[in-house]
Amino acid sequence: MGIAWRGAELRLLVPILLVAPLGFIVTNIALTGTLAAGPLGLALGYGVVILVVHVVLVLARHRGDQLLLPAAWVTGAIGLVALNRLPQDLAGTSALGFDLGMAATQLLWFGIGAVAMLVIAIGLRDDGLLRHYKYSWAAIGIGLLLATMLFGYEVNGARLWINLGPVGFQPGELLKIVLVIFIAGYLAETRTVLASARMRIGFLSIPPLPYLLPMLALFGIVMLVVVRLNDLGTALLFFGTFLTMLFVATGRRSYVLIGLILFVAGSFVAYELFDHVAARIDVWLDPFADPLGAGYQQVRALYALGRGGLFGQGLGQGLVTLGGSTTIPYVHTDFIFTAIAEELGLIGSLALLAFVAVIVFRGLRIAALARDDFSALLATGLTVSLGLQALIIVGGNTKLFPLTGITLPFVSYGGSSILVSFIMLGLLLSISHRSVVEEGAPS
Amino acid sequence: MTGDILRLLLLVLQLGFVALLYLVLGRFSAALLRDLRNAERAQAATRSGIGTLTVIDSPGGEPLAGAVIALGPINSIGRNVNNTIYIEDDFVSTNHAMLTFRGHNWYLEDQGSTNGTYVNGHRIDRPVALSSGDELTIGRVRMRLER
Repeated sequence: MGIAWRGAELRLLVPILLVAPLGFIVTNIALTGTLAAGPLGLALGYGVVILVVHVVLVLARHRGDQLLLPAAWVTGAIGLVALNRLPQDLAGTSALGFDLGMAATQLLWFGIGAVAMLVIAIGLRDDGLLRHYKYSWAAIGIGLLLATMLFGYEVNGARLWINLGPVGFQPGELLKIVLVIFIAGYLAETRTVLASARMRIGFLSIPPLPYLLPMLALFGIVMLVVVRLNDLGTALLFFGTFLTMLFVATGRRSYVLIGLILFVAGSFVAYELFDHVAARIDVWLDPFADPLGAGYQQVRALYALGRGGLFGQGLGQGLVTLGGSTTIPYVHTDFIFTAIAEELGLIGSLALLAFVAVIVFRGLRIAALARDDFSALLATGLTVSLGLQALIIVGGNTKLFPLTGITLPFVSYGGSSILVSFIMLGLLLSISHRSVVEEGAPS
Repeated sequence: MTGDILRLLLLVLQLGFVALLYLVLGRFSAALLRDLRNAERAQAATRSGIGTLTVIDSPGGEPLAGAVIALGPINSIGRNVNNTIYIEDDFVSTNHAMLTFRGHNWYLEDQGSTNGTYVNGHRIDRPVALSSGDELTIGRVRMRLER
């Protein structure tokens, strides 16, 4: 086996390297009215990260998918351009005596994420560590949840954060991966039993409960705790990912039907029982009922989308701040998509969604080419969770669904989100590499 | 005057940014299309088989460790040379086990062997459905079922 040059990846990377610098220059001209150079250090740093990752993968003779990473890089570049355009004091960190602004901090996390991804993509030579210790992973997941409940602190009514010295971390993000690993391991083992069960109640065929129970129990605990912590977006994401993996593993529509019935019933109960759930849904149905109070964020987001229109206001020319604060609260995390849609319009935001679609498409392709059931289910779960996350938050931004605050992968500001998304890419690349090497599947 | 030039330049650059995004998207489309064509060709070439057994460990040397055995729908396994899959190992019975493909799944059944048939380290006492990636142990021979 000779050296794998990853030529397809390199050809895609060339134009992608230009996205961030060009975006920064355009923003700077629009904001300052002069030709002064923008934050070129930032653009250079991002380019260096992209190229170093490419070179390391080539040197390691990695034969994993060549389109997955470029799609993530271009999505991240659009995010970096959007973050650089927002007021830099929205977030940020001061480390080693440097005060980093929001975009610079995000770049730092891209670097950390890239290292984590490379370690997993190259270091994980077989999946024994993942599949044989699935109950240990489940225990780690429960531990993460307990830690959040005991030591976590609240931001905006949702208790998601743990203080780790200088940085805050969201264990819920990591839980996403751990849960997918457990479910993939469990389903790979019991798949055939679950698929061939023939127990009938009425017109529904019911799965053999003893086999399903351990997984349902763990899943129920997780869902209860996540809902208890007020993290509705994550709860919805877990549920959707779980249902998709169950369907992919068994190929039975009745499971999906049962899941959807449970979802509708659960949503109704939550609406009746919890005030914050009811508030979210009321805002979704009619944000203009209370445009300066509960509906403020959603109304502002709709105005921003309207200002953007087909072609957008242009980078640096949107109405981002008004009277010293951002027009949309949390525009750098939950509402980054509306900021992009305002300045780049429908055409720009459609391109962004297309890049997310490429990530999902390649992820599912990796799953389809995987050598064994565990790898296939793992790749499916990781991909679906990335795609669903984007769907849920973009749908929330555009008032297609009730808003639940989660991040847009690779775009929203946030260290935990970036790091975990890159760990997912690392796992996908590792699965892809193994299927190419063992099978000679097309790379 | 310079303000006008700057505004024009800004407009051109704004359009250029969106154009760059679509250029990247175009390259992705081309790469995806190329890939789909290759995959179709590769699939046509490999469509014939329904599964393979990869030999992980074989102290007796028959079959050889590392060998990949293409499977038919019905495969008998044992020390008798008339079996579909012939294994030379003192711990394997004459007619040891039967590996069959029915519906959409592989099934493994022990044929009353002396030393038993194992799936992922567990001894089986009735026909069991297998998943691809499962490890079969027959005598001292370990094999992995793959699609």
